[in-house]
Amino acid sequence: MNESLVVMVRGVIAFVTLLILTRVLGKQQIAQLDFFEYVLGITIGSIASSLTIDLSIKAFPQWVGLVTWIVAVIISQHVTIRWRVAAKYINGEPTIIIMDGKIMEKTMRSLRYTLTDLLEQLRQKDVFDLEQVAYAIVETSGQLSVLLKPDYQAVRRRDLNLVGPIERVNIELIFDGVLIEPNLRQAGVSSDWLRQQLQGRGIKDVSEVFLATIDANKQLYVDLYKDKIVTLIDVDDEPEKRVK
Amino acid sequence: MERWLKTLLPLAVLLLFALLMTSDWYWKQPRGPHNDVALHIERLRAAVLAEDWQQAEAAWQQLDAAWRYMIKRLQFSVERDEIRGLTLSLARLRGALQAADRNGALIELAAAEEHWQDLGR
Repeated sequence: MNESLVVMVRGVIAFVTLLILTRVLGKQQIAQLDFFEYVLGITIGSIASSLTIDLSIKAFPQWVGLVTWIVAVIISQHVTIRWRVAAKYINGEPTIIIMDGKIMEKTMRSLRYTLTDLLEQLRQKDVFDLEQVAYAIVETSGQLSVLLKPDYQAVRRRDLNLVGPIERVNIELIFDGVLIEPNLRQAGVSSDWLRQQLQGRGIKDVSEVFLATIDANKQLYVDLYKDKIVTLIDVDDEPEKRVK
Repeated sequence: MERWLKTLLPLAVLLLFALLMTSDWYWKQPRGPHNDVALHIERLRAAVLAEDWQQAEAAWQQLDAAWRYMIKRLQFSVERDEIRGLTLSLARLRGALQAADRNGALIELAAAEEHWQDLGR
């Protein structure tokens, strides 16, 4: 028995299975996962690693275990989307821990959420003074959402009746040295226009460009493979000690 | 990529994996008398019962060769411990044959047969 070969084949099976099934799971970010989903992720990873290297168990039952867990997650996701009561039970609910500027000590105790946690998460939100907080809510992911008292909220353009320019996401025209034709049409520019712009910056060919994007005002951002930096800034703590 | 292909391709890949991992029943089938493990076990048993040790040694060689061939085919779908179990059983069987130990050989033959039948279950 060639164990290395078997481990390799099993590894490919586990990898591709995870790749296919986790695509179905969606694009929830790690920070958005609640504790249950976090544990589910660890369990699925553990089964996948066992499928790869534990040759004392047949591959198929382990693969079935892996698929079962992922399908269970998919089902629980669908249930929580369609059935609000189940969502409350499975994911929990957001909990208010500062209400009208008052800390809810009993609620914090029931969540096993300490004052240190609260102060730390407030600081992460750039809030260093509890006096500024009107409401604070612990989300199901464990993150803290904060609503400041009106006196401490930042002024926005609409408060000053200022009309800002319409913002649009920049469109990539050249990516890794390759011209993206469909994006030219989307941006409403031609390849000739782009070449003229590049020539104006001393660039002879598209292949010299690492990235070129265009904004709503038709302003180009261009980054070349060969960066002509005059003064290098070293952010090393002790650059003089670096071995060259 | 077409939508149906996006759905069908991953499903086909998953199905292929499932088939690969459950194909032991297929790979266990002999492709000829030279790799028929069950047949060689029977021949070896007959030689041991007749206490024809020269014939038994030849039958063991054929059984061992058939088993080595089968390992390559079955390794992706069966447990490593079952493979090791049968390999060790054959090693002990050879020792019994060299010692002309009829009882020991029959015991190991029964164990080897059990391992073979358990493979892929």
